[in-house]
Amino acid sequence: MWNLQGFGSQLLIGTAATVQLAACALAVGTAFGLVGAALQFSGWKLLRAVGYAYAAIVRGVPDLLIVFMVYFGGTVTLGAIAGRYVDVNAFAAGTFALALSFGAFASEVFRGAIEAVPRGQVEAAKALGFSGPKALFAVIAPQALRIALPPYGNQAIILLKQTSLVSIIGCDELMRKAAEASGATREPFTMYLAAAAIYLLLTSVSTLLLELSEHRLARHART
Amino acid sequence: MKYPYFRTRMRLLALAFATLSLSTAHLEALAQPATLKIATEGTYPPWSFKDAQGQLQGWDVDIANALCTKMKAKCEINAQDWDGIIPGLLAKKYDLIVASMAMTEQRRQRVDFSNKYKETVSRFIGKKGSPADVSPAALKGKTIGVQRGSIQAAYLSENYKQSDLKFYDTPQAAELDLVAGRVDYILGNMVTYYVGFMKRPEAKDYEFVGPELKGGLLGDGNGIALRKGDAELMAKVNAALAAIIADGTYDAITKKYFPFKLM
Repeated sequence: MWNLQGFGSQLLIGTAATVQLAACALAVGTAFGLVGAALQFSGWKLLRAVGYAYAAIVRGVPDLLIVFMVYFGGTVTLGAIAGRYVDVNAFAAGTFALALSFGAFASEVFRGAIEAVPRGQVEAAKALGFSGPKALFAVIAPQALRIALPPYGNQAIILLKQTSLVSIIGCDELMRKAAEASGATREPFTMYLAAAAIYLLLTSVSTLLLELSEHRLARHART
Repeated sequence: MKYPYFRTRMRLLALAFATLSLSTAHLEALAQPATLKIATEGTYPPWSFKDAQGQLQGWDVDIANALCTKMKAKCEINAQDWDGIIPGLLAKKYDLIVASMAMTEQRRQRVDFSNKYKETVSRFIGKKGSPADVSPAALKGKTIGVQRGSIQAAYLSENYKQSDLKFYDTPQAAELDLVAGRVDYILGNMVTYYVGFMKRPEAKDYEFVGPELKGGLLGDGNGIALRKGDAELMAKVNAALAAIIADGTYDAITKKYFPFKLM
């Protein structure tokens, strides 16, 4: 059952691509999330509207559609702007599409966490003469981080599994490699089961890392 | 600055933004490509598949390479998931699809097809020693299994009204009933049978019966897909296709994979 017929190395190459995609999309998506959350707290009505619209639209559209729109739509749009064919790198497009989706969920996580910090904390910081940025980074952010981490980690694990979506645009990640291996060997059960085991391993490691981070962030709350 | 880490943190933030803008800079602008970009499917042996080293192989890949040699073009062949293959062509990620694509009416509305580059041949399978005559008159009263909704089902319904037709959801289900003795014959795609059912141990008492059937209700065969209106490339592809068929390259490639001709 576990005879991979020499396709083990291909699956490992796919695993590496999956991890790279997830890591890049996590970094870029977190940035999108921070910007999205910041927009929602903006003093300008227009910027607030942009922040809300980003979260509402992107969260409401299937991720597969976002992947298609960024890759194929992006190519056509850029081509139309440039007046000639513009090649969009599949890895970059995949990262961008996954980050766009992740950022929308992350922005809601961040917004919720910031709002969950008791109002009195901000007032206390002001009373002590803290400047705006200082109050944000020294008082609110550390408390919000602890609240945000569990849901943020949840989204990160979903992101890891969602990387399988970009196989459709020619990113040779784990899911595509498993499809190729099962096609070539006519052993779909073995190959997809192997892929499932690898995904489970990746998500287990991520979960463990998240639990360690949560434990560390909660250190001052322990006596 | 009252707050000592503020500047450092702002710098970090700026760094994050810089990374962000760099990642969008990946959207490289390239000049109009000099190479032909060809898409194939990649999980469908023996037509196109990747070996354990990740190398793309198969009949379609060999045909695509032969066409490129004849066209004196530099080609880049990539495996592309089937669901994204026509969108990729339309978005100009690819110029040609060489992926055993059946020329259906639905697809003709979105892409142009080259001349037929592979026949889809249907053939009966029956018990070894069955009479070679599989005409409607000869099979009168016999039971024939076929996949529901397939071109072969349409063909049998039209021409074999005197036979007892049994329809199955998958070709495999029809094969199982042939082995179980519930049907006398099955009709389906010959090459699919050749690489599938006929290679299995339970097929040892069975063989292809009667002539190769094609045309009409049995379909238009496979074509190479191009973007609509790409007339210059279409002329080149059709000329190259005619050339590899005429000089025997086509049959030589087919012989690598099958003991019969595909066209």
